[in-house]
Amino acid sequence: MMREVAWRLFAGEYNDATLEVNGGGERAPSYLVTPLGARVNRMFVVGVITDVENVGTEMQPMWRARVQDPTGTFHLYAGQYQPEAAAALSKLQPPVFGAIVGKSRVYSPEAGTTYVSIRPERVKTVDAALRDYWILETCRSLRRRIEAMEEAQRMDPLTKEGLVQLGVKEAIAEGIVQAAGHYGKADLSRYTAMLAEGLRYLLPEFRDGRAPDAAAAEDAASRPPEPVREPEDDSETKVLEIVAALDKDGKGAPWDGILEAAKAKGVGREQLEEAINGLLDKGLLYEPVLGRMKKI
Amino acid sequence: MSEQEIEKELSSYLNVYRVSLDTAKRSIVKKHGGNPAGLAVGINRTIRDLVPGEQSVNLLVRIVSVNEKDVTVEGATKRILYGILGDPTASVPFTAWEPLGVTLAKGDVVRVQNAYTKEYRGQVQVSFGVRTTVSKEKPDALPEYKPGPGSGIGRPYVGKPTPVTVADLREGASNVEVTARVLSVETREVEVDGAKKAVYSGVLADGTGKSQFSAWKDFGLKEGEAVKIEGAYVKAWRGIPQLSFDDRATVTRLQPDALPPAEKVSESPRMWIEDLADRGGGVDVTIRGILIDLREGSGLVYRCPECRRVLRKGACRIHGEVKGNADLRVKAVLDDGSGAVTAVFDRELTEALLDKTMDACIAQAKDAMSVDVVRDELADILVAQPIEARGNVTSDDYGLMMIVDQAKLLHVDVQTEAREMLETLEASE
Repeated sequence: MMREVAWRLFAGEYNDATLEVNGGGERAPSYLVTPLGARVNRMFVVGVITDVENVGTEMQPMWRARVQDPTGTFHLYAGQYQPEAAAALSKLQPPVFGAIVGKSRVYSPEAGTTYVSIRPERVKTVDAALRDYWILETCRSLRRRIEAMEEAQRMDPLTKEGLVQLGVKEAIAEGIVQAAGHYGKADLSRYTAMLAEGLRYLLPEFRDGRAPDAAAAEDAASRPPEPVREPEDDSETKVLEIVAALDKDGKGAPWDGILEAAKAKGVGREQLEEAINGLLDKGLLYEPVLGRMKKI
Repeated sequence: MSEQEIEKELSSYLNVYRVSLDTAKRSIVKKHGGNPAGLAVGINRTIRDLVPGEQSVNLLVRIVSVNEKDVTVEGATKRILYGILGDPTASVPFTAWEPLGVTLAKGDVVRVQNAYTKEYRGQVQVSFGVRTTVSKEKPDALPEYKPGPGSGIGRPYVGKPTPVTVADLREGASNVEVTARVLSVETREVEVDGAKKAVYSGVLADGTGKSQFSAWKDFGLKEGEAVKIEGAYVKAWRGIPQLSFDDRATVTRLQPDALPPAEKVSESPRMWIEDLADRGGGVDVTIRGILIDLREGSGLVYRCPECRRVLRKGACRIHGEVKGNADLRVKAVLDDGSGAVTAVFDRELTEALLDKTMDACIAQAKDAMSVDVVRDELADILVAQPIEARGNVTSDDYGLMMIVDQAKLLHVDVQTEAREMLETLEASE
C-alpha cells in the first residue's frame, strides 16, 4: 500500500471541510474532502502553536493545541495513542513555531455539525524560515487546486475521466468530483482571496503588525466547546484489553472470541469494528494472520 | 479501386458523418458490392499493434507453429498448447490455457475472439482463456506467412513509431521513437535461453530525463553521440522504465548539435513525486521536499557479515546470531506535497548530515548504552527539514524508494517566489 501523501493546506480550507469519505473496503483509509477537492488523510502543517492544554485527566492526559496560520486555526488532539506527539506537546512553551505531521479527524456530535481536527503523529519545534517555506508551498498547492476547480466548473458534465484528460492527476480528479457533488459550486473567490492573503503574509511590504495570537484568541472565543474525549476511545480501550487477554498463545486473539467478549462488555459489533479500525489505524493493533488480532 | 479511395471514403464516414468504425467499414464494403458479414464481429487487430494487458482481442492469424505441453497449475496437471501466431504485420507467441474445440495445425488460418495479452520477458504474448473462441478460416483468408531471416519472432515493426521523450517512457510501450544522446555504453555478455548473447547497455538522455538502455544488437553506439532510435520498446526494472531495442529497430546518427551537449542533457531533472509514481521511478532525478518522518532502522545499525541484512536483536534472519558490522544510515519519508518516497541515505551522507563520524556515533551509543541516541539526534536534525535529494527512484508494492546520491538542505528565497505568484494572481483578476 502506498503511503498517504502529507497535504499542505491552510486552516481556512481545512476547516471548511464537512465531507468524510471512505476509501472503500476494510481497513481502507478515510479522507476528509475539502471544498476544493483535496482528499486529506495525512497532512503537514507549520504554524504558531498558540496554546497547549491538558483537557484530559492527570492519569489519562489528552493534549489539545491550537496552531495558527495566516488564514485560521488548526485544532490538535493527542492522547495516549499518540505518545510521541503527546509528549512533545506537553513540553512546549507557547507561543512557538511548530511543524506537525498528522491525520485528519472528523467529529460529528449530531447530524449537520462537523468539527475537524488533527491527530498529530509528530510535533516538532521549528523556526520562522520553515513556517514561511510552508506558507509558500501551501500557496502553490492551493493555487493548483483553485486552477483545477476552475477547469472543473467549466466542464459539463463533470467527470473524473474528463478531468484526467485535461491533465489533472487521477487522485485529485476524484476529490474534485466528490467535492462538487457534496458542496455544489465552490466559491473560488473566497479561496483566491485566501491565496493572496497567504502570499501577502510573506511580504514585508504588506506587513500590518497584526499579531497571529489576536486572531487565534478571537477564533477560540467563537468556537463551541470540544468534547474532552472522543467517544470511541472508551470502546477502543476495552477492545485492547480484550485482545491482550485473549492472546494466550502469542499468535493473536481470534475474532470470534473478541466479538463475544466485547458483547459481554457492552460493545456491539458495529462499535467493535469501528474500534478495531481505529486501533489498526493508530498502529496499536495488527492482524498477524487473517481473523486474528494482536497488540503491538 | 485504390487504397487511397477507400481511405478517403473511410475518413469521410468517420470524420464528417461521425459513424463508428464498424459501421463505416460495413457501409463501404456493402456500397462496393461486398458482403459485410465477412467482416465478422468486432474489429480485428493486427499483431503489430498489440500491447500487454489487453482484455479482449480479436485477431485473424495464421498458426506459424503449435506444440503441446503439460504444466502443473495449482497442483493439477494440465495440457496446454503453445506456439506462434503470425499475420502480415508481425508474429507473437501464444498460449492456449483451455481446450479449444478445434485442432490446430501449422499453416491453419484462424479467427480468434476474446483473447487477452500479457507481457512475458519484455514481449507481448497472446493468451487464450475460457472466454476465447477460435474458429478455422479458409487458408487464403491471409497471405502465406513468410518467416523473416532468423527466427519468426522479431521481424521489423510495420507502422510509424511514436516519438516520445525520455520522461514520457512508460512500461509496456512498443515501437517508440526516441531522440537522445548516449551518455555511456558498455558491452556485457548475458545468457538467454542457454545461449550467450552480447548486450550493449548504458544510459541515454534527452534533456527531459535519463534512461537505461539495452541494445540486443551491435549498433556501434558510442558515448556522446546523438541518435534517433526507431522501433524500440520499453521494459521496467524495479519500476523504472528503460529502453530496449533489437534488430527490429533502426538507429540513425544525428548531427552532434541535434541535441544540447552531454553536460546539459545529463543534468538531473527536477520531478514531482506524483509524476515519478505515474512512471514507476526514474534514473538520476531530483526531488525537493520535506523529510517528515524517520523510518524504523534509521541510525546506527549492525549488519550480518554474510549477507549485509540488518540484524534484529543481534540475530540475522538467515544466518542467526552473528557478530554484526556497524553501519550508519537513514531511512526517511520525503514528501513534496504531491507524494512520498522512502529516501535512503548511506553512511557517508548520514555522517555528513550529523557532522559526525560513525566511530563517534558508536562511542556515543556506548555511553548511553543504547543506539537510540543516534536515531534521536538524526530525528532532531532531519524531521521537518526541507531538502533537495538526487538519486535513482525505484518502486514496488510498498511504494517509491530513492537511493539518495546527493542531498543538500534547501534554502528558498521565499519572498521572491511569493512576490512572483502574487503578481501573476493580481494580473489575472
